[in-house]
Amino acid sequence: MTPENLLLRPPHTQYCTLGCPILDAVLGGGIPCNSITELVSESGCGKTQLSLQLLFTAQLPRRLNGLAGSSLYIYSEFSFPNRRLNQLVESFRSSHPILFASYRDPRDYIFTRDCQTAHDLLDVLLLLESRLKNPKQTGLDIKLIVIDSIAALFRSEFENNAGDLKRRSSLFFKISSVLKSHAKRFGIAVVVTNQVVDLFDGNEEGSGVRVGNLEWLYTSGRRVCPALGLSWANCVNSRVFLSRREVVEGVENQLPDGDCSGFDKKEKRRELHVVFAPHLPYSSCEFVIRKEGVFGVER
Amino acid sequence: MEVLRLPLSASQKGKLISAGYTSIASLSSISPSHLALELKISETEALEILKSVSNGSRLESTSNSHTIVNGAQSAWEMLQEEETLVHITTSCADLDNILGGGISCKEVTEIGGVPGIGKTQLGIQLAVNVQIPYDYGGVGGKAIYIDTEGSFMVERALQIAEACSADMAEYSPLYRKGSQACEAKMMQPKDFLENIFYFRVCSYTEQIALVNYLDKFITEHKDVKAVIIDSITFHFRQDFDDMALRTRVLGGMALNLMKLARKFGLAVVILNQVTTKYSDGSFRLALALGDSWSHASTNRIILHWNGNQRYAYIDKSPSLRSASAPYSVTPEGIRNSASNNKRIKNT
Repeated sequence: MTPENLLLRPPHTQYCTLGCPILDAVLGGGIPCNSITELVSESGCGKTQLSLQLLFTAQLPRRLNGLAGSSLYIYSEFSFPNRRLNQLVESFRSSHPILFASYRDPRDYIFTRDCQTAHDLLDVLLLLESRLKNPKQTGLDIKLIVIDSIAALFRSEFENNAGDLKRRSSLFFKISSVLKSHAKRFGIAVVVTNQVVDLFDGNEEGSGVRVGNLEWLYTSGRRVCPALGLSWANCVNSRVFLSRREVVEGVENQLPDGDCSGFDKKEKRRELHVVFAPHLPYSSCEFVIRKEGVFGVER
Repeated sequence: MEVLRLPLSASQKGKLISAGYTSIASLSSISPSHLALELKISETEALEILKSVSNGSRLESTSNSHTIVNGAQSAWEMLQEEETLVHITTSCADLDNILGGGISCKEVTEIGGVPGIGKTQLGIQLAVNVQIPYDYGGVGGKAIYIDTEGSFMVERALQIAEACSADMAEYSPLYRKGSQACEAKMMQPKDFLENIFYFRVCSYTEQIALVNYLDKFITEHKDVKAVIIDSITFHFRQDFDDMALRTRVLGGMALNLMKLARKFGLAVVILNQVTTKYSDGSFRLALALGDSWSHASTNRIILHWNGNQRYAYIDKSPSLRSASAPYSVTPEGIRNSASNNKRIKNT
């Protein structure tokens, strides 16, 4: 057993760009390899959008901060978002015409697999190991694994009693251990998306415990906390929270004589926050979801 | 023969030796009347012999003392030893204060907390601080960092090392002990990284094998003064078919670590996770690995949030008072808390 020489390592970890310099800046370069990054938000905030975007940016060459690899997208909630993927293919092709010319379809480098339960996932990861050890010569090596979402895998099998929760908790550590082992051996970036549950005042359970930089997580005006509890929080290396809130921007259609007060112009503002990460201080930024993808907004 | 060294007459020495008393230890628990009978001398003479024996032994150095059991130490010797104990600073003065100077070498310290509270940050800070040269008030040793979770990021370690190097340069005129003759051992950030022996383990079997191997490794690298395990829990929270096996394995590992700490005089720091425990009708936070694990470490520190401030609380320690101190995680590493309303509580 010999220790790893820290100086021989590349001076910085390999990151996968998110496709937007503002988002990359918040995350210290992008999604790091050899670690598990968790994206937490309520539904409709942009987790899947961001994950799909990563499936493309992972294919970018190193000089453009990509991972020069294929990606594996494991989905558990809804059917595969084909339509959105095709939209993104178009926009990616137009922004990188040489790299993604007509003969080179980015979809060839995206592998998808659906999973229903946690044991399904473990089976998939086991099969993946043999594939990772012997990569096919024709394709790029898998360098990104996205699991969307991890919470859905644990929904059906477990009751809310001590025994089942304990069983569920051991599965968290088992899954995390296998993912981290693959990440380390093959230099893979792992992204896992998670849902949120509402937090009520006077909640005695561990889910009320503060984890990370933000005292409370708010989205759509509700106080929430990530699903799967404190055990799962111990299984990921970094956690990023996406939130949504309505902001009153101004008043529209106000009639000149002031009789009618007009309509409040509300805007949906989306924000990305770093909840905890071993290499990042707290920071946040606003982002928007457009046809071309997810982009940060300059402050 | 020790008896020959005693200030006795030659005939007395001769009688002692022929009666079989050659060492001072053999004379330590004998009564004057018994000695008088054995040597065929008067009781007063025997008393005088025994007095000179006890005088003589007090003059001798304490290291070759007349202990009954080999390897045992007297409490006095242990006190002497304890006063020369070294500490590794945490770079946060408040935290160092409640720890009596820092993380003590020769002991196993367990540090636990929720994710994101700064366990890995503290681990990296200690791996850097153990290397602060003796001239600057440090221990001047190397560190072994065992990473089980993949939280160790080289750029963060480099950042912390740079800040430590800059601090040393800033305080250089104040710290330099001794004469001008001692060279300025300016450590560059890269030097700090070179002195951290980094191991990554991916399963519990690897972890156990590595801890068993540490004895041999440290024998070959005698300048290692800190072993940091981040975190000790991760691989053990998976399903173990046999929980008794897990307890035995953990117990063995704990014993190994304690032996390492004592044998080589280094600080063993184990980072632990927290879990929720249901007791008295409510959920409380407790360190993972169960109650049997709580005997594995000498000192236990729990990191937690209080409002917007991070606190370190001494949960268990044989020598330190229960207290809590605020600290913060900055780009330079672990530092004093910057807020004005911080409180150091002595409970």
